[in-house]
Amino acid sequence: MTTATVPDPTGTPPARTTGDERPSLASRLLRLVLTQRIALLVVLLVAVVITMTTLSQNNYLSAPYSPSYMSATLINLVPLVLLGLAELLVITSGRGGIDLSVGAIVSLTGMVFGFAYGQWGWSLLAALALAVAFGALCGALNGVLVAYVGFPALITTLATYYAFRSLALVINDQQPISTKPVQDLYSTAAAVQLPFLPESFPRVPLGIFTFLVPTVVVVWLVLARTTWGRRLYAVGTNDVAAEWTGIDVRRTRFSAYVAAGAISGLVAVVTVAQFASARPDAGVSGTGMALPAITIAVLGGVAITGGIGRVAGVVLAALLVVWLNAGILLAVPGNAGTQLQLFALGAVLVFAALLNGITNRRYGGTQ
Amino acid sequence: MSAPTTATPPGGVGEVVHDAPARGRILPRPVTGQEVVLVVVIAALWLVLGLATPAFFTSGSIIPLLVSMSPIALIGVGMTIVIITGGIDVSVGSIVMVSAVVTAQALVDHGLSLPVAVLLSVLVGGVLGLVNGVLIAYGRVQAIIITFGTLNLFKFVGLQFFGSSTVEGIPATFAFFGRGEAGRTLGIPHSFLIMLVVATAAWFYLRHTAGGRHFYAIGGDAVAARLAGVAVRRRSLIAYVLTGLLSGLAACFVIAQGTTSLAASVGSGTELAVIAAVVIGGTSITGGRGSVLGTVLGALLVQTVTTGVTQLGWQSQLSDLFVGLFIVVAVGADLVRQRSRRTS
Amino acid sequence: MTADPTPAAPPRLEVAGIAKRFGAVRAIRHADMRVDAGSVHALVGENGAGKSTLIKILSGAETADTGRVEFDGRPTDIGSTAAALALGIATVYQEPQLFAELTVAENVFTGREITRGGRIDWAAQNAKVVELLELIGLPARYATVAVGQLSIAEQQQVSIAKALAGDARVLILDEPSAILTDTEVEVLFGVVRRLAASGVSIIYISHRLDELFTIADTVTVMRDGQTIGTHPIGELSVRRIVELMVGGILDDARQERVVPDGDPVLELRGLGLEGAFHDVDVAIRPGEVVGLYGLVGSGVAEIGATVYGMSRATAGSILVAGREVSPRSPRQAQQLGIALLPANRKQQGLFGFQPISFNISAGHLPLLSRLGVWVDRRREREVARSSITRLSVKTPDEKQAVSALSGGNAQKVVLARQLVERPRILVLAEPTQGVDVGAKEEIHRIITQLADDGTAVLIVTSDLAEAIRISDRLQVVRAGTTTVEFGPGATQVDVLAAAAGAVDESGVPA
Repeated sequence: MTTATVPDPTGTPPARTTGDERPSLASRLLRLVLTQRIALLVVLLVAVVITMTTLSQNNYLSAPYSPSYMSATLINLVPLVLLGLAELLVITSGRGGIDLSVGAIVSLTGMVFGFAYGQWGWSLLAALALAVAFGALCGALNGVLVAYVGFPALITTLATYYAFRSLALVINDQQPISTKPVQDLYSTAAAVQLPFLPESFPRVPLGIFTFLVPTVVVVWLVLARTTWGRRLYAVGTNDVAAEWTGIDVRRTRFSAYVAAGAISGLVAVVTVAQFASARPDAGVSGTGMALPAITIAVLGGVAITGGIGRVAGVVLAALLVVWLNAGILLAVPGNAGTQLQLFALGAVLVFAALLNGITNRRYGGTQ
Repeated sequence: MSAPTTATPPGGVGEVVHDAPARGRILPRPVTGQEVVLVVVIAALWLVLGLATPAFFTSGSIIPLLVSMSPIALIGVGMTIVIITGGIDVSVGSIVMVSAVVTAQALVDHGLSLPVAVLLSVLVGGVLGLVNGVLIAYGRVQAIIITFGTLNLFKFVGLQFFGSSTVEGIPATFAFFGRGEAGRTLGIPHSFLIMLVVATAAWFYLRHTAGGRHFYAIGGDAVAARLAGVAVRRRSLIAYVLTGLLSGLAACFVIAQGTTSLAASVGSGTELAVIAAVVIGGTSITGGRGSVLGTVLGALLVQTVTTGVTQLGWQSQLSDLFVGLFIVVAVGADLVRQRSRRTS
Repeated sequence: MTADPTPAAPPRLEVAGIAKRFGAVRAIRHADMRVDAGSVHALVGENGAGKSTLIKILSGAETADTGRVEFDGRPTDIGSTAAALALGIATVYQEPQLFAELTVAENVFTGREITRGGRIDWAAQNAKVVELLELIGLPARYATVAVGQLSIAEQQQVSIAKALAGDARVLILDEPSAILTDTEVEVLFGVVRRLAASGVSIIYISHRLDELFTIADTVTVMRDGQTIGTHPIGELSVRRIVELMVGGILDDARQERVVPDGDPVLELRGLGLEGAFHDVDVAIRPGEVVGLYGLVGSGVAEIGATVYGMSRATAGSILVAGREVSPRSPRQAQQLGIALLPANRKQQGLFGFQPISFNISAGHLPLLSRLGVWVDRRREREVARSSITRLSVKTPDEKQAVSALSGGNAQKVVLARQLVERPRILVLAEPTQGVDVGAKEEIHRIITQLADDGTAVLIVTSDLAEAIRISDRLQVVRAGTTTVEFGPGATQVDVLAAAAGAVDESGVPA
């Protein structure tokens, strides 16, 4: 939180030499991997897959690390990527943006969805729309407090984390909703054979197509191609300059929190389908969902100081973590494997953060 | 009633200035507006609870309240210092877990004496705090990111000690810190007293020593602090180590409050409760401002709400909703005060 | 405090042959300076002349590449801020480096607290601070007030107190008067005189040349990274100093522009903003360049911001093409055809690590998009490229991050943002601050061209040469209000005198 940069009063950055003398291939590659987060993630991803496959072929693993196994574990990718994107949006909006409440929104919205779909007999589409709208409403509460009232995001979302978590538990006397319609949702979490592809191609969880791909595409389009995306990056990069440029800083920042809430609402539905039950503690049990989501975002190259963050980075970071975790589970079966996953998550995050620090000092930033 | 009154004497009696031309205070203001508000709110809550549930003002309900708030307030003291420097430590829950499991296991295996066990727990916490401090102060990485990482890493370490089960058959060595008769002197719980002693020491440290004041300078403007000759890195390192040490001590209280078995979920979520107490106490999350007294009051308020909700016969989970509300109100009140002060 | 120093005693501080490079930029080519004990030594020069770099070297914040430093006749090496402080060289920067939540007394003693048995000796600290406060003219009760509650001027006085607490033998004041009111300046001068009398050497940086004659003993002039010369104040006049600063005899002649007749497109009538300015009257016709010249702190900066909707006027009115308007936000101002180039490029202008094209399009997203939603990336690229060509921004392509550009090129990018949709009214705040000479020339050319095309230009600047050179009419802002107006024939000396309030207003040609 304390960035120790001495402002340069003259406003003139030291002139950069535009490399006439070309650096060696090795140092250029190193630079690429260190400054281009996407490149680093791809390298790590390939390394993980090769290592695990090799271990698998030499029978060190309890089950084969095969394409079909890797494909099956993709179901874990859905909530991770979606919430990672939610964090991407709020963190990119700048001024210490962060959302600790996403897990609690998932719990609460899951319950609301459970009521609508499982008890009030709403159609799936209507209930889904309700979930997204309700999630957005929760996000709007965060957004109003952060963008318009001026609360620090960390504290605001800590408070709403408590509030939403509490409401989710109280709303149905801590009872999950697992009526017939909700249980039947489980089929949507099943894996499917892709059309037009050979039988040998592994089956892919349906959620990848119903939730993950559409959300990723939409968020990517919005960030990279729309005026809103431009405004978000502008506000996150320098909100004072954005104000002088005529951008409505508060509305832009507010809408980032709303969008994060809406995505959390989607995750709520995914989670209900995955558990075949609307559980009041779905998003907050254990470490909760916010922490892994923030981890994924940071690992994916989202700068905690705002203004920098790419969808591809988040997707790759999530994929890396999911496939690494899947491998760990096979290498170290049972409880020890689950525990090692914690270690991997923590180590990767600390590593990524330290790396960010080094590249910032050495190359002037990560892209 | 037993709201801590450690900071009421303004300034300290022994140093009335005779030759200084300035009349009145020669110290920074001893009590902030937030603290006054908190005392009023807590008093009001206690009054309401006392009227609504006759059982509230009995030792059967006050003592557990004080015992329960102690670990949160204790860690809160360290967290206050960390947040004053502009940092944060979300790994304290994991530190508590590691300290607790190491100590509990040692108690079971080796039957340590009370002082040795406390020392062990505090040391374990200190080492983990040192890890945080080194990474943050010398790796120059945002505290929130690093401590999110170490939260997972420490939890992994802790789980290695747990294996795949709970720690069973913990001896009653820590009864001294517990809710029972052994944990009280003159009816006041030892854990609460220890917390008060630590908080008072921290209050003195923050208020009356150069090192303590430097935390505020760092949080206010780290660059200016460095230029003024403040050892910025060493100070931040100390803040995280202190938080680790206090989390280790808090782990002893946590063991004492539990049964003879310790589950792997111990400490989980502590970080949020502690940060809530600190923030409700008026410490600014952006650094440079905050007080230990406020944090202790914040922890007391949170625990009062939790106890109150149960005593009123409401669903216990409802207390979190009130904690959330209190955070918003506390931060909002602080914001309003800040703004009105600036415009006046 | 005499103009001729005792020849026998060695100077308090002497530097010779100082040079400093930042990458390819030669911030200081050659600097010599000799500061006597107990003298007030002014250091003047235009923006970018190398004053601030020299100050940084003296205060240990930067290390010189070459050159030698002697303190009290002994060669010494100022390698760090701590070393400078140990020598007794204290610096008061323009922006107070204080801790808002700590009291004045604590701020003064941060890093060198007086302790007794491990605890801060509040009484001792307070006694000392009260003395210091008395010296600088602040009430004694301020000792225990949090710095955040003081005004900017008071904070600066606290900064001086802080510098003095360390037993300073050389006190560097970096534009201390810039943000002070006249009465506060008087107090400041009193402090400076008293300090000098007690043997402290003062290095005084200021843009208000007139005040040097009340306070300075000696003046060193810098130009283009070199010290041009050191003179006793008695040998100088404002005009002579200005000539030394700008080089050679002043040529105030400027190219005459013919301003088309017409009704004013922007009119400020009795405009006021509480606490900043009042009774400001300005009228600009299409094609006209009007300059508002005022020293920093005169309120001139806030006038531009108010026209642009950043703050709301508390008195008077703004008329655009004869219609009264009150823009509440930059967005509304833009819709009225008002564009503004902000004064502080880095803070208010640039999106640092974003590409040039992003920086230009950020202000025109509705225009450069389909339905206001989809960014038209082809047009965005075209606009960026044509801006780069038109303003001759030196860059390989439009994808370059602006943080990698030089000050002049970055400023052109921010300027380009204002020109995408040709504004009816263009407000330029300090358009060439921190910009090299070549880029300055080009920016001036662009501004003139815009005016020729019919844009009404309002230039808010504290750069005198620029104000005279580029304005068709020049209005001087002093103490928060427009005072004298000059036509094209104005000279720097006249304008400066008016800005400093030294000339009877009725006697000045309008």
